[in-house]
Amino acid sequence: MDDIEVRARALTKTFGQGEVQVQAVRGIDLEVRRGEVVLIMGASGSGKTTLLSMLGAMLRPTSGRVEVDGVDLATLPESKLPEFRTRRFGFVFQDFNLLSALSAEENVEFALNLSGVTGRRARERAGRLLDGLGLAGRRRFRPDKLSGGEKQRVAIARALANEPAVILADEPTANLDSKIGHEIARLLRRIASEERRSVVIVSHDARLKEIADRVLWMEDGQFRSLSEMAADPVCGMAVEREGTPHYRHDGQTYYFCSPACRDEFAASPSRFLAPAAGLSAPG
Amino acid sequence: MGGVPVGRRNLFSDRRRAVLGIAGVGVALLMVLMLAAIVNGAMRQVTRYIDTSPADVFVAQRGVTNMHMASSAVPLADLTRIRALPGVAWAEPILYLPDALATAGGRQVAYVVGYVPGQPGGPVSLVRGRAPGPGQVVIDQRVAGSLGLKVGDSVRLLARTWRISGLASGLTNLANTVAFVRFTDLAAARNLSGITSYILAGARGDPARLAHRITAATGLSALTRAQFSAQERALVQDMSAQLLQIMNLAGYLIGLAVIALTLYAATLSRLREAGVMKALGARPVRLANVVLSQALWTVGAALAAALGLTFALAVVLGRTAGNVPVVLDPGSVARVAAGAIVLAALGALAPLVRVWRVDPMTVFRR
Repeated sequence: MDDIEVRARALTKTFGQGEVQVQAVRGIDLEVRRGEVVLIMGASGSGKTTLLSMLGAMLRPTSGRVEVDGVDLATLPESKLPEFRTRRFGFVFQDFNLLSALSAEENVEFALNLSGVTGRRARERAGRLLDGLGLAGRRRFRPDKLSGGEKQRVAIARALANEPAVILADEPTANLDSKIGHEIARLLRRIASEERRSVVIVSHDARLKEIADRVLWMEDGQFRSLSEMAADPVCGMAVEREGTPHYRHDGQTYYFCSPACRDEFAASPSRFLAPAAGLSAPG
Repeated sequence: MGGVPVGRRNLFSDRRRAVLGIAGVGVALLMVLMLAAIVNGAMRQVTRYIDTSPADVFVAQRGVTNMHMASSAVPLADLTRIRALPGVAWAEPILYLPDALATAGGRQVAYVVGYVPGQPGGPVSLVRGRAPGPGQVVIDQRVAGSLGLKVGDSVRLLARTWRISGLASGLTNLANTVAFVRFTDLAAARNLSGITSYILAGARGDPARLAHRITAATGLSALTRAQFSAQERALVQDMSAQLLQIMNLAGYLIGLAVIALTLYAATLSRLREAGVMKALGARPVRLANVVLSQALWTVGAALAAALGLTFALAVVLGRTAGNVPVVLDPGSVARVAAGAIVLAALGALAPLVRVWRVDPMTVFRR
């Protein structure tokens, strides 16, 4: 038995047809081990969310396959997918996506209800999860009475409710300030390490690299090697080293997302070189 | 134990919308319930003369099976034949004609019953005064009150002036009343001779058997009191059925519009949450459950409110307008409850389609 929890092979997703056809994901291969945190980064529109949706059994791939816990998602009929999602995945979203009319406890209970756990058992488990995430005093609060960090912790409790093998997180820190974002990141790390769950995060947030076992860069529906990437010192965007505007300064080459960034840098390099930032050092 | 009541929570989390929806549907159901209750009350009043009569069998002209809007003429010779039949305890004639009580203060449509004082056929509950003597009439106390009449006053009826000898009770409904005069007076007023409208008979033994025997012996139409009352109600119901259907339909349509709009607005406002539920693994049936439970809670609360208001109005109307008895029977409540459930189901259709179609991928939209 191998340790691979999620395996994607030659995963492709195409939207539309003819002239409006868009290939959002192009032949992605990915393996995620138990207890591993994989961070997928990339610019908006690079295909991260589409990939996450396919990994989470919300979207059927155009071609290729996804296996989760040894089950090929393509073999599951549409009617079985909801139950599969409930039992195998925990979802964490940027906007928290809590049900606004329910209390924190009921939001977690609801996820348990979906897997057939109801009543007192559900309430007790929801309570334990919330207590474990430091929300003991917030159980009866509705989402509108919770802070952003609390909402995200409720969402994480909900994601953990059915003890899923895989946590899929879409920009889990995007709506949080840096301190709370850091807390949430460490929480996801702990969930992976201590509970041996696979965590796949898609995010723009470079701080999440600290807790990731692997960082993958996605661009135009494909993974790119991070060694091929550089950070635009002006806007911070990750850019390829080949075919992009560049500028040599003080014996080093800097890469830019656009001529405008390059020109801004060229006008005053010292403005942009003080803080160290980016995905890799300039070459 | 069940799961989290998402539908109920959704409904009552926006209290203003919930109250407006329940109130709107409640008013519509109140209309339907009140209509049913008023019709029930009116039906009881319409047949009150028959239902409270001591007669076991009502005999009418062949083919006539009721009193309201009917014309019946039976030869008085048949009265003698009926009295002679075995199983007949007594038999008395009554004349029965439509007219109107008129005073300077107003008019009231009235059925005039001509009976033989001291014999069955007159007012059962005489609350004031005495049975009519020659040229005298007994009218219902409710009409007396509305026309400003009392015992001893005069009233126009059958193109004559009559003196009120007594007041009866419980014989006035929304549309008409009953007045009692002597049989001979009514016959004289209409130049009737040798005929009666109906013959009332008391039975020794089974009334149905007696009715059958009378029909066999005389060829006249003879029905038991229960049959005669049922025929009377059926006729009145037939006459008002279309109007009632239209008014019921209007009530239900208003209710449907309110619940459909309320549910649709509530569903649209939480469409993203439906997508979240789907993403988390909720099946379409679970989402349908959420919508339907909101619909059922809305109509359930609306029905409860409408029932409470109907009972309250029944009490108020009973005290202030006695000729509008409001009678809510279990059958009417069951019918309106069934109608409310249909309303909930229909009102939930469009929202159901919306949540059915919602894409779980909406969870990723910012």
